[in-house]
Parts: sequence; structure tokens; C-alpha cells
Amino acid sequence: MARTSSFLPRPTVLLSLWGVLVFAASAQTAGIPSDMTLRSDVAEVRVTFSATDRNNRVVATVQPADFAIVDRDRVVRDFRSFNRSEYTHMDVVVLVDASGSITRQFRQELSHVVQLIAGTQGMPGESFSIVSFRDQKPAMVCDGNCHELFPQAKVPVIASGGSTPLYDSIVFASRMLRRRSDLHTRKILILFSDGGDNISLKSFTEAMNSAVDNDVAIYSVDVSSQPHASPDTLVLRSFALNTGGRYFPIEAGTGKVLEAILEDFRATYTVAYKLPSRAAGFHQVRILPTHDLGLQFHCRHGYYYPSHTEN
Amino acid sequence: MKRSLLLAVLLSALPISLAAENRAHQQGTIVRMRMTDCMAAQHPLMQALSGSNRGPSGELCPEYVLVTDKVVYVIIGKTSDQLVPLAETTRFHFQNNEILIRVDDSRRESRFHVKAMMLRPEWDRHEQIEEAEATAAEHHHLEGAVMVDAHQ
Repeated sequence: MARTSSFLPRPTVLLSLWGVLVFAASAQTAGIPSDMTLRSDVAEVRVTFSATDRNNRVVATVQPADFAIVDRDRVVRDFRSFNRSEYTHMDVVVLVDASGSITRQFRQELSHVVQLIAGTQGMPGESFSIVSFRDQKPAMVCDGNCHELFPQAKVPVIASGGSTPLYDSIVFASRMLRRRSDLHTRKILILFSDGGDNISLKSFTEAMNSAVDNDVAIYSVDVSSQPHASPDTLVLRSFALNTGGRYFPIEAGTGKVLEAILEDFRATYTVAYKLPSRAAGFHQVRILPTHDLGLQFHCRHGYYYPSHTEN
Repeated sequence: MKRSLLLAVLLSALPISLAAENRAHQQGTIVRMRMTDCMAAQHPLMQALSGSNRGPSGELCPEYVLVTDKVVYVIIGKTSDQLVPLAETTRFHFQNNEILIRVDDSRRESRFHVKAMMLRPEWDRHEQIEEAEATAAEHHHLEGAVMVDAHQ
């Protein structure tokens, strides 16, 4: 009969889920008597976030005492570690809705984005791509080398008109970012859209899951003419809120968007805490202030903790 | 005469002292927080009779579990943006069957319905059972993994 003390050391299970890392490790201590079994079981959640004040300015002086984490309704104040994130690179994909809602201002703003990204000195080691989407599927305009292809910051001609595969395109761009980035690269999706979708095979939820699962922050730029009255605006806001990005109406100007991206890049934090509940399924994560309600924390909205049979 | 005067003074002072006690701040710690259906604004009895505690608008309100030395309160806000800071210590007091919490930078106190109450030992026991069940399930899983490894 097999003895439980003779089991092999189990590998560390590393789960990188929805931008939140859950580390679960099962370990056995070697050299113990054969009739004894020692087990150590540790699970840790890591969350990356940024913070803004009530004037929507990035806060670069966040301390552990400034916030608490709500993980599946449990409040966590004891953190195992807290530090500035170790992002050293940035990978930016500009996702352009070319489905027919392009206005003159939109073209100007897109041109401005290209110009800013091409000219900025503030994005370390960045890769820059443009993907447009209309009709059936997204199309790559330039892949990581937009600086070289458009050195004069000229906006490439993007064919417009047709239907809007927004959700499919977000899934496409998220997977693309995941494929070519590592843990030290902040993955940014700047989405120029009115939030509408009328042809995607993927759903809103699948698009959201894809972005969060691949650790992609979406910065939504709402190009609709009435951004505050449209349900589609909620879609764009939701993408930004739940992926740790931000939402901007196009009137805000793309300079603001780039500024926010750079601020978030420079003032991003990572906090680690003990898994508060082993309940299988989705763990919604929120970061809330402990004293200043004007502080807003931006992070991905949760992770999946697998059931025992999935481990 | 003196006795009746003294009695009158005492009787008149009683509501004041009760009110003062009611105003006395207690402190506790918020250990859980979630967004849930807002409680209807109607009277609790009417609410119970109607068999529904769902807010008319389907709005979500913050619900907190506030743990004190002796009692654990489940409190719920009246609006979706009625958030309180999740500090280690939350100071509160009662008024008209509601819990009032002052937020540091707010002039007014925030009012919360008391949705449920539980004695602290009962709450602790409930928590321990929940934790033990989770641990047992985890160990059961590990045992299964051990046996699989051993057979391999």
C-alpha cells in the first residue's frame, strides 16, 4: 500500500489569471520520518494597480495604509508585499474603429496619437502597433514597427465603412499583445470606438475576459458625438474600468490619453496578499481607500480560483 | 417636596442620558463588503409582508459586515455611492435603529440600515466552521493528489 509520506514533491502551480496572479504551492519537507507527513499550503494573490485623486491626477505616493482590498467580499488589510511595479517596457496597440463612424475630428485625433507616440521620449522600450477593424475582422496596419513605417507621424490611410466587429477585435488585439510581451511589459490597448458592435462572433463578456486574462489595460477613447447619452458609452467605460485603464471622450484630446498612459506606467504598484478565501470560481477584486474617499484605484476586476478538480 | 423635585430632575435627565448613551460612539472593524440590492425605503414590516427587500430601481448598494467586541452588524447603505473608508477602526453610533458613520471629510454622517445582527461568539463560530470546511476540502484534494502521485 502506498504511504502518504512518500509522495513526490509537487510542482509549484502558477496561475496567471485576469491580471491577478494567484500563486498556489504545495510543498513537502524532505528528511522527515517515514510515518509523518508535513504539508505546507500557501496561496498568494498579486494585484497591479494605479491610483488617481479626485481631480483624476495620478497619485505617485500611495502607501499600504491608504487602501484595503476587497477580495470576494472579504476585506484584506494585511499585505505580504507592496512595491512599485517592475514594468520596464510598454507595448501599445491602437485599435481603430473604421466601420463608418469616423469623423474628421477622429482622424485628427488619431493623427495626433501617432504623432505623440512617434515623438515621445517617455515610453521606454515601447512597441507600437495599429490595428483597424471593420466588416468581418480586424486588419493589421503596422505591427510593432509603426515608428519606422510612419516616421513623419503620417496617419496611414485606413479604409472605412461597413459593420463593426469590436469585440472580436479586442480579443484579437489582446491575444496579440499577450503573445509578444512578458511580465515586465505593460500591455496597453488604446481603443478608438463609439462602443458599438454589430457583427462579432465573440460576446462583450468574452472580449472583457480576453483583455483581463491577458493583462491588457484598455484606454477607451469615445468617438461618438453624444458620449454621455449612449449605452455604447457604458461599454467603453466598462472596458476601461474593468481592465485598469481609463475612459476619455474624444473631446478630452489624445494628449490626455497619452499623458494618462505614461502616468500610470510610472506610478503603478503591485500588492500581494494571502488568498482570503479558497472558494472556487470568480473572485471579484476591488481596491478601496481606508481614509481618503477621493482616491480611486484602478485594477483588473478579479480572477478565477480553480475548483479542486481543476488544480 | 425636595424628594419630588429630585425625582422630577432625575426623570427629566433620563431621556438625555439615554440619548447621550445612544450618541456614544462605538468602534468596530469592517471585515466584509459587497454590493447588493438596495433595501426598499418602505417600513421594514411592510417590506417583510411584501416578501421583498429589493430596491425599486434595481440599484446596488454597499453592504458591510461590521465586527465589534460583542456584536456583529450587517449594515447596508441607502444609495450606491454610500461608501465608507475601510480603515482598521470604524467609529459609529445608533440613531433610530440606524447606524451612523461619519466619514472623515464629510460634514454629515452616513446612515445605514441594520440588515442583521449576530452575537460575536456566534459569528466567530460560524467563521471557524466555514474555514474548517474550506481547509478540509483542500486537504481532501491534497490527499487525492498524494495518492495519485504515490501510485505513479
